[in-house]
Amino acid sequence: MIEVLDLKKCFGSVKAIDGVSFSAQDGKITGLLGPNGAGKSTTLRILYTAFKPDSGRALIDNRDVTVDKLAVRTSIGVLTHGAGIYERLTARENVRYFGELHGMSGKELTMRVDELAELLDMNDFISRRAKGFSQGQKTKVALARALVHKPRNVLLDEPTNGLDIMATRGLREVIQRLKDAGHCVLFSSHVMQEVAALCDEIVIIANGTVAASGSPDSLRHETNEANLEDAFVKAIGSEEGLI
Amino acid sequence: MHTRNISHLSSLWTILKKEVIDNARDRRTLTTMGISIVIFPLLIFGLIWFLDKTVKEETDLVNADAVKLPVIGAEYAPNLMAWLGQNNIEIVDAPDDPEASISQGEYRVILLIGENYPEAFRKGTTAPLRLIHDSSITGLEKIGYSTVRSAINTYSSQISSLRLMARGVNPEVVRPIQINTSDVATPQARSGQFLTMMPYLMIMFIMAGGMYLAIDTTAGEREKGSLEPLLTQPVKRHIVLLAKLGATVVFSSLTLLLVLSGLALAFKYMPVDLISISVSLGSILKIFLACLPFVFAGCALMVLVASFTKSYKEAQSYLGMVMLVPTLPLMSLAFLSPEPSVSNMWIPALSQGMIIIETLKGEHVPINLIGISMICSLLLATVLAWFAVKLYQRERILG
Repeated sequence: MIEVLDLKKCFGSVKAIDGVSFSAQDGKITGLLGPNGAGKSTTLRILYTAFKPDSGRALIDNRDVTVDKLAVRTSIGVLTHGAGIYERLTARENVRYFGELHGMSGKELTMRVDELAELLDMNDFISRRAKGFSQGQKTKVALARALVHKPRNVLLDEPTNGLDIMATRGLREVIQRLKDAGHCVLFSSHVMQEVAALCDEIVIIANGTVAASGSPDSLRHETNEANLEDAFVKAIGSEEGLI
Repeated sequence: MHTRNISHLSSLWTILKKEVIDNARDRRTLTTMGISIVIFPLLIFGLIWFLDKTVKEETDLVNADAVKLPVIGAEYAPNLMAWLGQNNIEIVDAPDDPEASISQGEYRVILLIGENYPEAFRKGTTAPLRLIHDSSITGLEKIGYSTVRSAINTYSSQISSLRLMARGVNPEVVRPIQINTSDVATPQARSGQFLTMMPYLMIMFIMAGGMYLAIDTTAGEREKGSLEPLLTQPVKRHIVLLAKLGATVVFSSLTLLLVLSGLALAFKYMPVDLISISVSLGSILKIFLACLPFVFAGCALMVLVASFTKSYKEAQSYLGMVMLVPTLPLMSLAFLSPEPSVSNMWIPALSQGMIIIETLKGEHVPINLIGISMICSLLLATVLAWFAVKLYQRERILG
């Protein structure tokens, strides 16, 4: 479970986020939706302990991300923006490396990697070196890497970026399965359709603050708009950055 | 979810292992290391061959080819021409424009005899000659000029002796001092010039061996977007950095070992008697161990500088310059030829340079001086690594 309370973070004079609060429950998919530069990535980066907030609190499974860093990191699986993998290692070695950093080894790790290769449909490139992988293949490796230690909470920063339709469908299925297995899934996106199709809860972020949040139905209801896109536009007050 | 107990040591080992595998597959790292074992002996061979040739030709007058000397106005001084001929100098026709042919390098030296030469010679006054040469020419090519010059000087002093005797004066009157020299330089010492090159080369190779990994540690990983996922793993950042520094040290010291092996091989199989330097397993091992602290310091310096940079390209150009920093103290080796002492053995790079030279000369460096060198370099390495860790803790590292 993820709880965010009045997070603030500046970079120099630029306020990246200015009082973001929301929560994401276990067994649910929560989407951070907002135009580019709204503060989605900054929020996620604070959650996965890369950045320290200027003020406010963020808790993952009731542990403060600024205090209990290492424990928080064991309980999250992160797909970062860009999702860089090591090109001179094979897909399997890439995933194993992160498993080992989580203290896994031997047969347990081998079985887990096989399981993920099956789940993410990676079997035809799992033993190849990652140089020359397509964006979809890279994202799959990065996702397997994020899930290798069976994290309770999964944070995905724009996971469908650069993916084709089939890969996007595959990813959606994986996210759905994580939800069914009781994981807390939090992902950011600026693609309205994606969020609408997947999320149980939507948090709309604009200009560093939460413009609206709730289930797709309640958002439509609150804004008195019949479709989610209009609800979104109404919530952020402009059509900026909408796809 | 079950929590696992992850020790710092096992994380360190995991990252170090991965970096070593990753970089062992990097062609650039392998090229650097390949060069060290192939090019290094070739380089040494070339240097020695050249040195050998220079010294032989300087000293071997019997078998040397005649020096070709173009002379303008040879007809004015037939006796001098005969004298030069006896001194293994071959008189040839002069080119039309002597100055130009010298500056273009066609000839190294040209003799000009004016028409007033015979007149002055007959009267017993000083007869003028002109030697045209290029003083910026050094090394082997200069031999021709000095041979001609000394032959003319000898001729001149013989004539002066004859003239004095003809006037009833003992020639020794005008020669108050006779300088006799004796050269005590052994073949080892003569190879000094060659030996001062060794520390440069070794230290350059130490730096080059770890360079790509040092860049990869920060700028490279950041550019590929893999640094952020790595830093969200349950590993403390200083462990990540130290593991990467460790991997850099592994490659750097491996390169040094290859260079030293190359050196040993070169001297084992090269039929060179001019330079005898002592390359045994013991001395190789001694140099390797004495240089290890410097390897740490060099790698820490590179990792530190790479932490400042924003991109791979930037890191590469900065590190190119950083590689030169440790060679600065080595400059004094060429100009001052210092002996190891407490006052200079604390200086990193310089102290290792002196250990390399003295050990190759077959001389013994006191163990306490080696100790000072190792401790001071390790201290520097620690300070640099500490700063690198501090830099690595910043959020800005993620760019």
